Amino acid sequence: MSGSNRLSGLTARPKDTTVADVRRVDEVGEARGFLDRSPRKKPGRKPSPRTHQLHPKVFPEIGEAIAVEAERLGITQGQLIEQMWVLYQEHK
Amino acid sequence: MPVIVMASPKGGVGKSTCAVLLASEFAHMGADVTVLDCDPNKSLTRWASHGLPKGVTLHGDIGRSEIVPTIRAADGDGKIVIVDLEGLASQLVSRAISQADLVIVPMQPTALDAEIGSEALALVKEEEDALGRTIRHAVVLTKTSAAMKSRVQKELEEQLRGAGIDVIEPSLVARAAFSEIFAYGGDLTNMLKDPEMVTGGKIDKAIENARRFTEAVYERLK
Repeated sequence: MSGSNRLSGLTARPKDTTVADVRRVDEVGEARGFLDRSPRKKPGRKPSPRTHQLHPKVFPEIGEAIAVEAERLGITQGQLIEQMWVLYQEHK
Repeated sequence: MPVIVMASPKGGVGKSTCAVLLASEFAHMGADVTVLDCDPNKSLTRWASHGLPKGVTLHGDIGRSEIVPTIRAADGDGKIVIVDLEGLASQLVSRAISQADLVIVPMQPTALDAEIGSEALALVKEEEDALGRTIRHAVVLTKTSAAMKSRVQKELEEQLRGAGIDVIEPSLVARAAFSEIFAYGGDLTNMLKDPEMVTGGKIDKAIENARRFTEAVYERLK
């Protein structure tokens, strides 16, 4: 057995690949116990890439103002500090 | 070109071995072969990591939602597509079978393998009815004795043929080279030529067995 000439005679038959066909195949498989066994994704929130912890002490009124502004913007205090850092870098 | 699917809900029956032997032997004949590794154990990906034979490409990590479009994409570019499936009763298996030109169900000559493997055969029949097309399928007995056909093997072959099931001859004999090809990558011919690749068995006999098996599969694809 050698040479690709023999292989060139091999052909694939047309297959059913519509959504309805796949659903029908799924139903037939499920009836025989061939179920969806795809691994489930881990539930819950994904871990944040923000892993660095700051420990600054500020005057109470400034800390309060930062908390209020972050809440007003709908972001975390960490994200607000990141934005402040960007502005600082631009203007220093 | 045809799509060949290795299917059995039972693990350890020789699906990956059949896939590797067919891929490397068809490539040896000059075919472009695309192998899809759908087994979470990634046996074929491990084999490929040591080097693929010329003419073989491998795609791994294919899940239930990707299997049909991936087979379709590979099928369209003039390649022989070989799909190695997980040893589970899953929708991934049923979907792959729906895209097959030939389903090969490997089983060792044991009652347990035959019982679990028959689930795949029954599923093929039911998919044929549902899709209104014939899906050619055949059993290959694996890890058989090189010395003689056991009584259990003879009885199983008789039962399968009696039930109208196509049984591929030759069976795949338990050969060290068939196991060790996963550690060395490439194909059996490389193992024969490279003195550093050591197996405990006769590689020439393994090559002859793999070629005759591939020839029998080829006859079923015509």
